[in-house]
Amino acid sequence: MSELTAPTPTAERQATLWSDAFRTMRKRPDVIIATLVLLLVFTMAAFPGLFTDKDPTTCIGREAKERPSTWFTGDHPLGTDAFGCDFAATLVHGTRPTITLALSVIIVSALLGLVLGIYAGYYGGWTDGIISRGLDVFIVIPMLMGAMLILSLFRGRVSADNLFETIAAPTLALTLFGWMEFCRYTRAATLESKNLDYVVAAKCLGASDRRIMFKHILPNAIVPVTAIVPTTIGGIIVTEAALAVLGIGVQPPATSWGVLLSKGTEWAGGGYVYLFAWPLALLILTVFAFATFGDALRDALDPKLR
Amino acid sequence: MGRYVIRRLLQALLTLGIVLFLLHYLMALSVQIRGNPATLFFGGERTPDAAMLAQVERLYGLDNKCYERVGDPCLVPFADRLQQYVTGDLGTTLNGNRDVAQLLGIYIPNTLRLFVFATLTLVIVSMVLGTWAARHRGRFIDHTVRGTTILADSVPVFLILLSYVYIVAVPLTRWARGIWGTESFMGQVFRPNYNPDYPWITIIVPGIIVGTVGLATMTRLIRAAQLENLGSDFVRTAKAKGLRPMRITIVHVIRNSMIPIITGIGFLFAFMLSGAVLTEGVMGIPGMGRMIFEAVQRQEANLVIVGLSVSAVVVVFVSVIVDLLYAAFDPRIRYE
Repeated sequence: MSELTAPTPTAERQATLWSDAFRTMRKRPDVIIATLVLLLVFTMAAFPGLFTDKDPTTCIGREAKERPSTWFTGDHPLGTDAFGCDFAATLVHGTRPTITLALSVIIVSALLGLVLGIYAGYYGGWTDGIISRGLDVFIVIPMLMGAMLILSLFRGRVSADNLFETIAAPTLALTLFGWMEFCRYTRAATLESKNLDYVVAAKCLGASDRRIMFKHILPNAIVPVTAIVPTTIGGIIVTEAALAVLGIGVQPPATSWGVLLSKGTEWAGGGYVYLFAWPLALLILTVFAFATFGDALRDALDPKLR
Repeated sequence: MGRYVIRRLLQALLTLGIVLFLLHYLMALSVQIRGNPATLFFGGERTPDAAMLAQVERLYGLDNKCYERVGDPCLVPFADRLQQYVTGDLGTTLNGNRDVAQLLGIYIPNTLRLFVFATLTLVIVSMVLGTWAARHRGRFIDHTVRGTTILADSVPVFLILLSYVYIVAVPLTRWARGIWGTESFMGQVFRPNYNPDYPWITIIVPGIIVGTVGLATMTRLIRAAQLENLGSDFVRTAKAKGLRPMRITIVHVIRNSMIPIITGIGFLFAFMLSGAVLTEGVMGIPGMGRMIFEAVQRQEANLVIVGLSVSAVVVVFVSVIVDLLYAAFDPRIRYE
């Protein structure tokens, strides 16, 4: 009687799509620069104390509107704003709400889109009908308009004390109108891979629907979704800023880059351009870094382009 | 084809119906949760006489009992609202009591003029850049165009708008007026705000700014489509026949790349509308966008809903047209 021996796993690591992508991206100088910028921004959000020792809420009226004549040195490296608060501290402390908001929106909407997309693609029929119709409906209203609608209809002047209350309303509004693209990509990928041999094999072996969806189809479907995540984060940061300029995003006295921008516009014309230019530059730099990273990621994850 | 058109139209109507209902439901929810907007009529803070409040509620169609039950979809007022829309009655503004339908009559042409310039900018710039990049594939120009489009993607319309209006416009206008004079074309074109005395000149720059929405997407679409066509058999045949390169580019490559351009414009239309909200709001162009912008800030729910409904109708309509144009532009596409 012959005995079946299990094949011993080889020590050699297999080249997966992800490790290939990582290796491709590591070689590109633009990706490295973008990653450094993003790391800087994330550090600012996580540890604002590393960049400034001032408290953005202690404002001295006597020192209001000091131009940043002593560049990057002295008491106020970036000058002070209209109320005498240290501008560098305000800018650094405004990073956390911006980044937290963008990340929470992206996580919730990507999860929502993934789950809905997989269900629509896998089950087809009336499940797909309902979800696809929902997609059509939400796509008609672009993210900014939808968020404007929600925030203007349900606006209440609440004084927000902590981070959660500050960003809750804009996060909710942006998520509600941000999940469609993820859902569409996932649905398409699911439709493509649900009739592949290995999925059919899993089905023949009696795997449950849920196991097939999340163990076999999801790893394929997640690739196109990942490729659009960085670019979408950039888009969310910008939309938040646009909402703040409209006066319905994050509410002052809480700060975010958008709030700083909208305050800065009032002073830019009067000769205090730095109050506007700094948040603008930081915003553009971050979004550009996200876009560059996303563009490279999209290429690296597309096997056809190799 | 005929059956496809009918099915597509029915689908569009269904989508539109759901969108309108969703907008109505959101408004009803907001009234149920936040309280009656009719109090805004009296200035918000004061508590008006009950009879007067009832009168105003009736005036704005808010007297239905369902507005007091949270979560009630308010189907009866929804049917009334649809009926009013069909007869052309879009309600009045809370502020100033003006007829919304009349306001739309003034605002829509202005937005259309803005869109003429925006679409022209989008199509011309992305065609030139995309064609250029495709013809120099893999070389320096291709990479430059690619970098530029990423930059254009990451510096969206809203930031370009703010930097233009608050940093560039004033010095530029002063410089231009110093050379050409205030009343000349150049003296007006760079103004940071719209001027009704120069309705066409002062709308050019905002149009160009709105046109940068989706410039990156379009350029990439066009580059990809042209690369596909450049490598195709009919282009090789044309080259073998000895046709001039210009003729090959225009007749064989660009015409066959029209499909992605149409798709792109149809897809970007909704985003251009939201770009128009900010551009018109900040630059003071009296159009649909500024109406929504101001309605949001003054909390006029009815105006926001009407504005979004109009935009939804336009977007759905445009997407139907795009689908039908496919078949017209590419004989290979046939709807059964």
